[in-house]
Amino acid sequence: MLKPLMTRLLNHLVNQNGWAREQLQPFGGRTVRLSMPPLRADLVVLEDGGLAMAGEAAEPDASITVPPSVALRLLANDDAAAALATLEGDTELAAALAKVLRGMSWEYEEDLSRLIGDVPAHKLAEFGRKAGQELRSQSLNLLQMLVEYWQEEQPMLAKKRHVESFNRDVDALREDAERLEKRMEKLSARISSVRD
Amino acid sequence: MNDDNTTHFGFQTVSEAEKAKKVGAVFHSVARKYDLMNDIMSFGMHRGWKRFAVEVSGVAKGDRVLDIAGGSGDLSRLFARKVGDTGQVILTDINASMLAVGRDRLVDAGIAAPALQCDAEKLPFPDGHFDCVIVAFGLRNMTHKEIALAEMQRVLRIGGRLLVLEFSQIWRPLAPIYDAYSFKLLPLMGRVVAKDADSYQYLAESIRMHPDQETLKRMMQDAGFAKVDYYNLAAGAVALHKGWKL
Repeated sequence: MLKPLMTRLLNHLVNQNGWAREQLQPFGGRTVRLSMPPLRADLVVLEDGGLAMAGEAAEPDASITVPPSVALRLLANDDAAAALATLEGDTELAAALAKVLRGMSWEYEEDLSRLIGDVPAHKLAEFGRKAGQELRSQSLNLLQMLVEYWQEEQPMLAKKRHVESFNRDVDALREDAERLEKRMEKLSARISSVRD
Repeated sequence: MNDDNTTHFGFQTVSEAEKAKKVGAVFHSVARKYDLMNDIMSFGMHRGWKRFAVEVSGVAKGDRVLDIAGGSGDLSRLFARKVGDTGQVILTDINASMLAVGRDRLVDAGIAAPALQCDAEKLPFPDGHFDCVIVAFGLRNMTHKEIALAEMQRVLRIGGRLLVLEFSQIWRPLAPIYDAYSFKLLPLMGRVVAKDADSYQYLAESIRMHPDQETLKRMMQDAGFAKVDYYNLAAGAVALHKGWKL
């Protein structure tokens, strides 16, 4: 029962985002595997540009793998994280689907208006948006407060400049070690040529 | 198909000609109460399965759809909305009683779709004519399933899809409950509601004789479908197969 329900939801989203159908239509009939270990789902692009969950015997033409940490960053609208997803197989198809999945938005106010009417739906959605913003800003404040506490009062987290300085030292050490290794190799070669 | 031209009618072995007659009699008998019985037997779920089939068909405005063994026309009604004024849905059934019910319901719903009595093993359409062919709960009753599948493949255009919605093999742990339901409750419901226990006994038996998910997938591949996928619905009691002609 989950697949029909998910398919219905996916197509509802595609219908609300007309541009997505145009993007997907050239790939009708092809299947993409979405992986976020240990979770996995196969989506099939329909011939009319819609999306459906793939069946039991589907063979993916492409795959998109997103590590859980990257998924969290994507959810937080971190655009740079998208580059960390791995696309395999038919990359054109995978890229088109990735673009659609990231770009689609749920028009919940529109859906709500069908149930309770335009004005109450708008008011409720407005309230939801404000509550969401407030929640986000309060969470951010709390997070900043905790970071500050763990960096200054009870040092558990490293400061950015300390981490950067540590990284620079590690790089310098690695380069010095590599130079020393080369020098040793050169010396060994010279010693063995003198012995011969 | 057997060498001596016999086939299954539920658990009985009958001649091929006799099967067609017996299946015809079953559907003539249940035509008027077909949808009501479907609602009772599946607890209304058959409507959801059919909507799902239409959803994954990928049918767009302007497409041509063939509804085989379309019976009471509920799939044709759903597809008519999808193809719009520029597309076409053709309702077919081998059984005149069922077709009459379907045709009348389409007209009642304000849909002017052709309704055609024809045999799925000898489809009266040119090659590559349709974008989508669907057969819902009909393949099971066909005498030569391989021939019917090959015919459906023939009338599809390249890139066209065949959807087969049919009873299938339920998830094994649920089989005892399903058997009790099918062989005890189903004929009883048939007797009380449709006044026809035998037809619903045949329904239960024919479901058991129908190929399981993987077998039907192979049959579709043998009929020329390059790619076949299937969905298990209601724990596999019903399966939706989708085959692509590529």
